Amino acid sequence: MTTNIAMPMTRVAPVRSRPHPVLRAPFGHGVMIILSLICLLPVYWMIVSSLRPANALLDGAFWPSTITLENYSYALRAIPIGSMLVNTVIVSVAVTAFQLLTGLLAAYAFVRYRFAFDKLIYALMAVTWLTPLQVVMIPNYLLVARLGMLDSLTALILPHFASALAVMLFTQSMRTFPKEVLEAARMDGAGGWRILWEVIVPNLQGMIASLTILIFISTWNEYFWPLLLSRTPANSVIQIGIQMFMTAEGTEWGPLMAASTMASLPILIFYVLLQRQVVQSFMKSGIR
Amino acid sequence: MTAAFSSPSQSARRMRHSRRSIAPWLYIAPAALTFLVWIYWPLFDALWLSFHQWNMLPRAPVKFVGWSNYANIFALPKFWQALRNTGIYVIGLLPLAVIVPLAVAIYTNDLSGRFRNVYRAIIFVPMIIAPVVAASVWRWVLDPDYGVLNGLLKSAGIAPIQFLTDPDIAIWAIVFITGWKLIGFSTLILSAANANINPALVEAARMDGASRWEIIRDIRLPLLSSTILFLVMITTLLGAQWSFSYIVVLTQGGPLGSTTNIFHILWDFGFSSMSVGWSSAAAIILFLGFGVLAFSLMRLADRYSFHDN
Amino acid sequence: MLRRNLLTGFSSLFAAGVLMTAAAHAQTAAPTIDKPVTITFYNYNLAAAGLGADATVKLISEFMAANPNVKVEGVAVPGLDMASRLQSDMAADRVPDVAQVIFDGLAFVADNLGAVALEDIVPKQELDDHFSGMIPAGIRLGQLDGKTYALAYTFSTPVLFYNADLFRKAGLNPDEPPRTWEQVKAAAVAIHDKTGAQGFNGALAGGGAAGFDWALQGVLRSNGGGALSKDRKTITFGEPAAVQAISMLRDLHDAGVYENMPSDAMVETMKSGQLGMLLNTSAQQNALIKGAAGKFELRAAQMPGFGDKPSAPTNSGSGLVIFSQDPLKQRAAWELMKFLTSKRGYTVITSEIGYLPLRTDIVDDPQYLGPWVKEHPMVRPNLAQLQRLQPWVAYPGQSYRQIAKIFLDATEAAVFGKGDVTETMKAAQEQAQSLMTN
Repeated sequence: MTTNIAMPMTRVAPVRSRPHPVLRAPFGHGVMIILSLICLLPVYWMIVSSLRPANALLDGAFWPSTITLENYSYALRAIPIGSMLVNTVIVSVAVTAFQLLTGLLAAYAFVRYRFAFDKLIYALMAVTWLTPLQVVMIPNYLLVARLGMLDSLTALILPHFASALAVMLFTQSMRTFPKEVLEAARMDGAGGWRILWEVIVPNLQGMIASLTILIFISTWNEYFWPLLLSRTPANSVIQIGIQMFMTAEGTEWGPLMAASTMASLPILIFYVLLQRQVVQSFMKSGIR
Repeated sequence: MTAAFSSPSQSARRMRHSRRSIAPWLYIAPAALTFLVWIYWPLFDALWLSFHQWNMLPRAPVKFVGWSNYANIFALPKFWQALRNTGIYVIGLLPLAVIVPLAVAIYTNDLSGRFRNVYRAIIFVPMIIAPVVAASVWRWVLDPDYGVLNGLLKSAGIAPIQFLTDPDIAIWAIVFITGWKLIGFSTLILSAANANINPALVEAARMDGASRWEIIRDIRLPLLSSTILFLVMITTLLGAQWSFSYIVVLTQGGPLGSTTNIFHILWDFGFSSMSVGWSSAAAIILFLGFGVLAFSLMRLADRYSFHDN
Repeated sequence: MLRRNLLTGFSSLFAAGVLMTAAAHAQTAAPTIDKPVTITFYNYNLAAAGLGADATVKLISEFMAANPNVKVEGVAVPGLDMASRLQSDMAADRVPDVAQVIFDGLAFVADNLGAVALEDIVPKQELDDHFSGMIPAGIRLGQLDGKTYALAYTFSTPVLFYNADLFRKAGLNPDEPPRTWEQVKAAAVAIHDKTGAQGFNGALAGGGAAGFDWALQGVLRSNGGGALSKDRKTITFGEPAAVQAISMLRDLHDAGVYENMPSDAMVETMKSGQLGMLLNTSAQQNALIKGAAGKFELRAAQMPGFGDKPSAPTNSGSGLVIFSQDPLKQRAAWELMKFLTSKRGYTVITSEIGYLPLRTDIVDDPQYLGPWVKEHPMVRPNLAQLQRLQPWVAYPGQSYRQIAKIFLDATEAAVFGKGDVTETMKAAQEQAQSLMTN
């Protein structure tokens, strides 16, 4: 693959500065366009299918001959999509905020201080990334039940209060932070707390933005933990709403696709509006 | 990025040494307590329970059964098949999770701003779609009777392919879908790393008459090696987990166990039913297995990664 | 380990509570509901939009309107998770008052979760009155050792749906659908050869079973075999009668007319007109009718049998189980159960969700299902085989789910794999048997 794509570029020309005319690299663009289509096709299919009437669902036609909104009105009637979306936003925002905060604090401790067992503690935190939620799901469920938090958004947030990924990535990027700047701040009499918020955090914007996106998306799409906790649809998140169209007795594809489209739409719009910033933030984040 | 896994002490930029202070403990407390309560406590619980039989009901007796929970799991005929498949998933995922994104990252880096942003934005889209939804849609696209893809094949005169029901093909279909979801993430990470390569290095090589390919081979790839290694590592460690949703929705491990992996089979027999013995033993097997794997990979990474700083 | 101590602490408290209540109330629910009471009802139709959530909400509110003292709190639990959810909630000391339990978990909830037998709380006369008019085979489904732990509620049987257009194209007579498995094979081969469509599929083995062995048990029963011995002590799916039935499925596969396919995929293939025959739950009927509309003529026949032996359709579905130990709540739960399985209840359940009415006398009653059945004649084959209904047998012990999985895995390997059917099933039988003691 690498050679194929690189081939049309084997010419002596300025590497970074000058833009490529499309015609000069038809092959590379061809490959990229195919790849883009593969990435977009299922999304297109989801939206188109949600607009098909029930008996035309399996036609396989690229463009539906008749378009209907009946799947949407059905889905809206069947599940409380509005309150589910609100719940999902609350959970996603809270989880993102908490993970960023706890990650920043822990990373700061690891980078700035040396303390007993620091290596071990760091390793133990990193390893939690490998522990699939399913492994600890049942005991955690019992704990949540005993705390009286079943059917509450709190229970969806609490186990995700911290994440190994945030701790690791923040530790990593803080370590590359110029030591001189920190020393200077310290000379000025800034305490540890102030250095973190006034010197380090403003310089971690790229990383914070990238992590925000990653955490937000994965929380939005989280499925198994909410499924275990959900008791009433109105107190659940949107993924549970989607799941309600897939049952042991069959799947209602039309409404499922309509609900999925509605579930993806907020995040898709958010992304389309911010995509440049999203991509840029990854560039700036120094994840590497 | 591989450094993210290794311990913090390697950093020489520590500002306060060995000052006895409560401050670091306060800083790590929120994260540490979360992990302790929600991950380590249940894990220790599972370790103890994996040697017992109990139905979780408070009034029921807890019976010591020795290793029999583990023996039951290892006796599953599909267990070893699942282990083998786990390897296939990891190896199969690497091209999509690492090689394609690498090519895309390097290629798009040299495009004009508009094209670069459009391509990278599009490639990120699969990440946004919920796994359950993605799985449902792909099943539709791949269906032998009414799927779009087989429709295209049929019009080209090729017999339809049983993507999800042929035991020899199904696992590759799941690998593809898992990879499809991952390309965006890897591409962004590699693009970020690639964009951070000092342009002066590339410029200098170009002045020396190096071709594009030589620049990629001698400068970019070595400088990207730690990021590549990081991606290889997380693919190895998390690949089985990432494919889980797709296995559940698309094949339930079938046909004939050809798509099950270690994670799915332990879920199937352990966590999905609340049999405490089965699921606790499964939890311990998974944790120890991947723990050991992670440790060895970390050692490997430390030895072979190329640091540019 | 702290958590364990916590749990044991709980356990003694809980055990004491259970013993006391059990001793204090001479095993009978309160005769009337004389003060307000709230009961929780775990229901899986509530978790299935479009497959019963609306109808269930409607039934519950009708019940509450008629019984102003009772407040029913419906809790939506996905069907697959019901037994495990009950277990975990009980472990967390939150015992639901009444729950809709899938039949494969019946033995488990009775043996392990403290399900209350109706005979222990309801006067015999009242029980007999309610049971009269219900299909006896249906009542028996919820019984273990002569006691009724689950009141049969929503259920369905395997029905052979078929595409009449494909039958005609293949030169078959759609008015004479296959009655035996041999005829199924002949028809499937004809359809496959003449139309290129797939011949047969069913919710029996491999992906099609979707984790449940209810329909497969019916095939074994039809041939005089079974998955579990009568005394519920011995696994029997490796015995000759069972193996013979499974070999028949293998034969269909070898003939090229039965492919391994996930259950929802085969339903969609049927809807798309590319499948001749589909043996699946009658609960799929509404969805199939919708999908076939305007494309092909969908019909339904009874489950096929072996030779002259009548087939033995098993049920899929659920019963209502009381867990409450409180006399007043028991009474409220029982009143709810009576309403849900009344003539009115089954009218709504059949016409709006698609399950079978356990009271056959309402089928032609114009006050109840009469008009609906006239419009939906496809429900008839289903009603006809209700009289022969056989229970979906639940495996005893804590590993009941794993035993079912082992059975299904082995069947998949035997039907769609390359190995020997007898050997595969024998080995699985031994492995499953070793889990019976657990």
